[in-house]
Formats: sequence, structure tokens, C-alpha cells
Amino acid sequence: MRTIARNTPHRDYGSAALGLAALALLGGVAIRARRRRRLSPRRKTQLAARTLGASVITDSAMEHARGGFHNPVMYAAPALATLTTVAAAGRPRRTWPIHAAAVVVGAAGLGFHAWNILKRPGGVSRNNLYYAAPIGAPGGLAVTGALALAQGARTRGDGRLLGGFIALGTLAETGEVALLHDRGAWHNPAMLIPVTLPPVTAALLLDQALRRRAATRRITRGALRAMAAMGIVGTGFHVYGVSRGMGGWGNWRQTAFAGPPVPAPSSFTALALAGDAALDLIGDRP
Amino acid sequence: MTIPDRPGPRAVDGRAPDVFSRDGSVAMRQFPDREEVDFAIVGAGCGGGVLAAKLAEAGFSVVAFDAGPFWRPLSDFASDEREQEKLYWLDPRISGGDDPLEFGQNNSGRAVGGSSVHFQMVALRFRPDWFAARSRLGYAVDWPVDWRTMWRYYDEVERACAISGPANYPWGPKRRYPYRAHEVNAAGQVLARGAEAMGVPWAPTPLATVSAPRGKSPPCVYRGMCKIGCSTNAKQSVLITYIPRALDAGAEIRDSAMVGRIETENGRATGVEYHRDGQWRFQRARNVVCAGYSIETPRLLLNSANGAHPHGLANSSGTVGRYLMAHLNDAVWGVMDEEIRWYKGPPSMACCEHWNYTDDKDFDGGYSFMSQGPLPTDFARTLVTNEGVFGHDLRRQMTLYNRMAGLKMVGETMPQASNRVTLAEERDDFGLPRARVAFSHCDNDRRMQRHARDFMGRMLKAAGGRDLLETGATAHLMGGCRMGDDPETSVTDSDGRTWDIPNLWICDGSLMPTAGGVNPSMTIMANAARIADRIGALAAQHEPERAHG
Repeated sequence: MRTIARNTPHRDYGSAALGLAALALLGGVAIRARRRRRLSPRRKTQLAARTLGASVITDSAMEHARGGFHNPVMYAAPALATLTTVAAAGRPRRTWPIHAAAVVVGAAGLGFHAWNILKRPGGVSRNNLYYAAPIGAPGGLAVTGALALAQGARTRGDGRLLGGFIALGTLAETGEVALLHDRGAWHNPAMLIPVTLPPVTAALLLDQALRRRAATRRITRGALRAMAAMGIVGTGFHVYGVSRGMGGWGNWRQTAFAGPPVPAPSSFTALALAGDAALDLIGDRP
Repeated sequence: MTIPDRPGPRAVDGRAPDVFSRDGSVAMRQFPDREEVDFAIVGAGCGGGVLAAKLAEAGFSVVAFDAGPFWRPLSDFASDEREQEKLYWLDPRISGGDDPLEFGQNNSGRAVGGSSVHFQMVALRFRPDWFAARSRLGYAVDWPVDWRTMWRYYDEVERACAISGPANYPWGPKRRYPYRAHEVNAAGQVLARGAEAMGVPWAPTPLATVSAPRGKSPPCVYRGMCKIGCSTNAKQSVLITYIPRALDAGAEIRDSAMVGRIETENGRATGVEYHRDGQWRFQRARNVVCAGYSIETPRLLLNSANGAHPHGLANSSGTVGRYLMAHLNDAVWGVMDEEIRWYKGPPSMACCEHWNYTDDKDFDGGYSFMSQGPLPTDFARTLVTNEGVFGHDLRRQMTLYNRMAGLKMVGETMPQASNRVTLAEERDDFGLPRARVAFSHCDNDRRMQRHARDFMGRMLKAAGGRDLLETGATAHLMGGCRMGDDPETSVTDSDGRTWDIPNLWICDGSLMPTAGGVNPSMTIMANAARIADRIGALAAQHEPERAHG
């Protein structure tokens, strides 16, 4: 075959097609999988907290290391994320102060990140939102703490509260993804998936939280599972994205930090798991 | 004869270097000298490279010559300022006038891809009014092209080069960049702070280096070696955008081939005489296009004088070589309290076009200015040539390198007939007469210079700069073979076709009737893209004697 001299976007389209196929396969299997009774809502929530926690630990450690921990407060994020993730395995009755601290520090982190954006020339400009501290990221720590606390959810009311919370969290996460994928100029068509599937899922889940519509419960669960699969496939995309930087993974000390954050997409998997737990509580409990 | 320290031809035997690999090659169509090709294009940079690609894609047979080598960025571009001087046109020229121009890194390129291989990637557009500078703003001359036409071609070339620019550019009609603006480095934030303090807008500079992956181009890694060759291919130069397109469409790129003369017969160009691989050869062509930029294009036309054209080709008006323009490139530098490390990232990440779009000032034309990030040797040279510092003093000033910031203007000089290119008696290694260049600033240029130094100085102070230092320089070249509506005062019509010889064309920065207060590469490329479409349209209208040979 004749080599083409010009640069081509074929890598983007090729990888997008491959990723979509992977998502269809994995999502299809997830949707069709029989409901696993073995996993209680409590276990699912705990798994969600630990998955999200792992994502937050890695992401905040990498990003703050990239920032040289120039403010000592920056150690707080990975430290508390580690504590709350480890403690999530314990009894919430004894570990709740750690989780509460994670929620508080996460919320405070939002303020720090907002300050980092605002202090730059241009203030709330597209350039600062793209490149200053990511505006929504500390929310991940707060949600991890909240999920660890939510392990105690037992009633249908608890489920509705959790479902609503997860729906809103998913929407916030989608906003952050939209911003950062826009920064990447949507160079790969697959970058559109995490700004289309999650809002639909969030809307369905919110509807369940507010109105408990039985007719759409199955489709909501299917959407949640597809979103969980998307988190896994997205991680694959980000691993590939890092390889697109100069030097690829061989130059990981630069590319893994400057490229798409590998731990980030799994947060959608965590949110989906927690949403699934909420759905169990909404549907099954008195 | 070969020029020392330059590789010989690389695009040979039906293969051309694959610019996206370290040592690979791609298939290339080749034409024998005796075959009369549709277009012989002299120069493969922002003008000739774009034209070659578009004409080949339109189905014409094209050979594009370049005096320089065909580099592979991944293996040929070292992160070393001295080594990279191979990218500039450093053959001596005789420079005179009251303000002699310095030639080299700021205004020339000698490589396939031209000076876009080492340009600083600033991708700005003209202010629309400048295309009608005389009728709308009352100075210089009008372009023979409407700004709306140029605006469409700016869109086209910006897409082709995936320009990374801001979502909301504060000046001029709305534009949309394919990629997002890069993060503004500390040097750019100095400009931003200064602009906010002075109450004028600023913007992240639109740049021809990608902020996200693009096919085989990785996103910019902010090495800062941008004023020389980009060794990662993030820079979207003509070498990695239009040249590969030209190859795919069946054009031949004849690298390391110096064109010395254009031959004519019965009032028509018949081909070009060129030197490659130690010998002079002749390529027949139905059309010849000069795209060698503002010095080499006039030099070639003048050197091609013959009995029928005693003053050089296309020179019945006496305009060839005249109305040469440069950009004022004065700068103000200051020491900051905080560490800046201005070498990080592309050199000019923030810009201000306030004085391009504001008409309340004591000079005609406009200027933009940008934040700076000179590499160490470059900055040391600036200090030596402008301040005369040396030895211990130079060393002391260079220790401040990481804490310095600067603002540098790109200022529009006025077109003057006396600023011109002629031929000298002295000859180069090929036996061709060297170019003699005369350049003097006019009063308007000096007023602009004073205005810019004052404004940039106040802005830098407002941003926290101290111990200010002013330097003077010029950059870029425009004009020398300007296009126009009147055969008496211009060399070509609006299509770049010379008034005197119907199958001789010009397509490069020398066509520009005015300089504008922005870096010229995007304007040269947009104009080349427009000319390519005009040639296609003329050929379709069956003007064979004019468009298609």
C-alpha cells in the first residue's frame, strides 16, 4: 500500500471506532448481565467510594506533584483521599469523622481551585478554566467522603437521596469533562461520548429519585451500566491518549502528566455503581 | 558545486523524505527536465508550498524548487541555536540605505517549507481596513483584493494548519480557530497584567502549534525551541502541512535546487534554469511562478533580464524590487521580581493588537506587540548589538535571564519606492549576482517606533518591570514585487500574474502592497491559497494562454 505523505486524522477515527466497539461489547455484556443479588447496596456503595477514592488519590497526587506541591495544603487532597478510601472498608459508625473531613476538605478545595483561576490575568476566562486548577476536581474528594458515609443508606428515602446526589454529581462531572475535552478540541470523535451518555443517565436517575417511575427503572439501570462500561473504556482511551504525546509511554514522566488524566474516567464507573445501589434501594425497599 | 554543510538533494529516485518519520520516505512523482510541466514554482515556503499543494490537487503538473534542503524534523532539528542556523538564508547580501536591514533568522528561510520551518508560529490576520489602506485610512495604497475574500482564505489556511487560538479574539471580525489557545506562560502573563493595568485588551496569541494531538503531530510540549526547527512536529509549518499534501497530489518537490534564471521566448516564459547536484539544468514549463520572497523573487526577475526585457522580467513599470518593507521589531525588556523563565513554551504566547485597531495616534499604520521568550544566545546577541555590553557586564546581565520579561512590536513600515532590491556586481557561489538592498525608515516609521517604545515601556512598568532596556531591530519582509490594479505602479495583477508576461506569476510575500502590523505568514498563505483558486478558475474559463500555458 502506498504510504500517504500528509498528516491524517485516521488515528483518531480508527481509535474512536475501536473504542466504540469496545464500549458496545462491554456495555452490552453489562446491560445483559443478570442482577447480582450477592452485592448488597451497601457493598456497591462501598465499592463506588473505593473506586472513586482510588481515582482521586492517583489524580490529585499526580496533578499536585505536577504543580510541585508549591502550597503545602496541596498534600491534603491525596492524603485525605487515601484515608477515606482505606477507611471506607471499616464501619461508618467509627470512621465517619474521616469521611466528614474528606467532604469538608473537598469543599474547601473547590474554593482553592476557584481562587487559583480567579487570581490569573483574565479571571474567569476560557484559558484560565482550561489550564488553571481544574474547577470541579476537588468535588471528587467530597463525593468520595459522601459515598463512604452513604454506606449506611437503608431505606427507600435514603436511596432517593443518594440517587439525586449521584445524578447531580454526574452532571457536574460531565461539565468538567466538557470543559477539558473542549480544551482538546474534540480531536477524537469518541470524546463526545462522556458528554452525551452521562447526562442522559443522570436525567433518568434524577427522575427515579424524584418520581420513582417503575417503567423506566430497567432502562435507567441499563444506562448506569453503560456508563460504568464507559468509564473503563475511557480509561483505555486516556492510556492511548498519553501514548500520543511526544515520546509516548516511554516518556511517561512527562506525557502521563501532560496528557489526558488516566485515573479520571473511572470516576464515571464509580458514580454508576453508586447509582445502581441507589436504584436497588428505590426499587426494592419499603 | 555544492554549498558546504548542506546535505545534497534528498527528494530523488521517486522518493521524498517522510517528514513524520526519522528516516523514512514516501513516494513522489518526478518529471523529466524535457517535459513541459504546467507549473514550475520557485520556492516552497508559505507562498510556493501552499500554491504547489493546491495546484497539484487541482490536477496541474507541478514542480516546486527550493534552494534549501528537505529536512525531517524528528531527526534533523537539534535543540541548539547554532546548529539550527542552517535553516536561515545566510548567503551574503549587500545591505545599504540609512537603516540597513540585517538578514538571517528574522526574515528568511532556506529549506523546503521556507521560513515557516523556523517561524515563531504567530498566526494573526490583517485588520480588514488595511486591504483598503488608502481609501479607508488615508495612507499607502489599497490592495487589489477585498478583505472578505481574504477572510475566507484565512479560514482555509488556519484550518489547514490547525491554528490554536482563543475562543474570543478581542479585535476584528469574529473568527474561529480549529484548536484551543495554549496556556499562557509567565512571560505572557506579564503582558496580560500590563494590559489590564493600562486598560487595553490582550489575548492568548493564535499559534501554529497544536494544543492537542493532530494525527501524527503530538501536542506541543513547550520546549521553547520554537524560533528554530520544531523537533516534535507540533509546529504546523508548511513543511509538514502543505508540502506532504503536494506530494500526495502528485507534485514534485525539487529540494536543494537553486533557480538562477527564468528563460523567455516571444514574450512568454519557457522554463527555469536551475542548479542541482553540481550542475546547471533547465526545466521546461508552461507557467513559471516566483515564490522566493521579497529579496530572491526580485533578484531572480532582475537577473533574468534579456534582450526583450533589458531591465529584468515583468519590470516595464520599473517596480520590481521596489516598495520593500520590513516590520519594526523594537522591544522593551525589564527585570521582574519573580522568576519568569521566558524560554518555556512558544516565545510569544500573549499579544496585544490595540494599536492596530485604534486610529487615535500620531502615525499611519499600526503595530501589534507580543510577550517574548528569546533563547539565551539570541538574547545575548540582542544585548551585545544594542547595548554594546561585553565580558563581565554581559555575564551580569545574562544572570538575570530567568527573571526577565519583554514586549516586542511588529510595526508596519510604509511602502517607499526607494526601499528596494537591485543586483550587485559581486557574485555568489553559483556565479549569480548578489542582491543589493537599500532600506531607510521614513518619519512615519520613526513616529510609530517612538510611540511603541513609550507605550510598551509604560505597560511593562505597570506589570512590575524595572531597569527597562530598549532595543531596536526589524523582522519579516513584505513587498518588492507588489500586486495592484495599475500596470504602471505594480508588477502583477490581483491574481499574481505579471502584467508583462502572461505565463509568469508571483506568489509570495513580495506581492504585499502594504505590510500590516502583524506577522505576515498567514496573510502570505491566505493570498497563495486565493491565487491557487484563481488560477484554477482561469483555467476552467479556458484562458489557456493565460492560465494553463
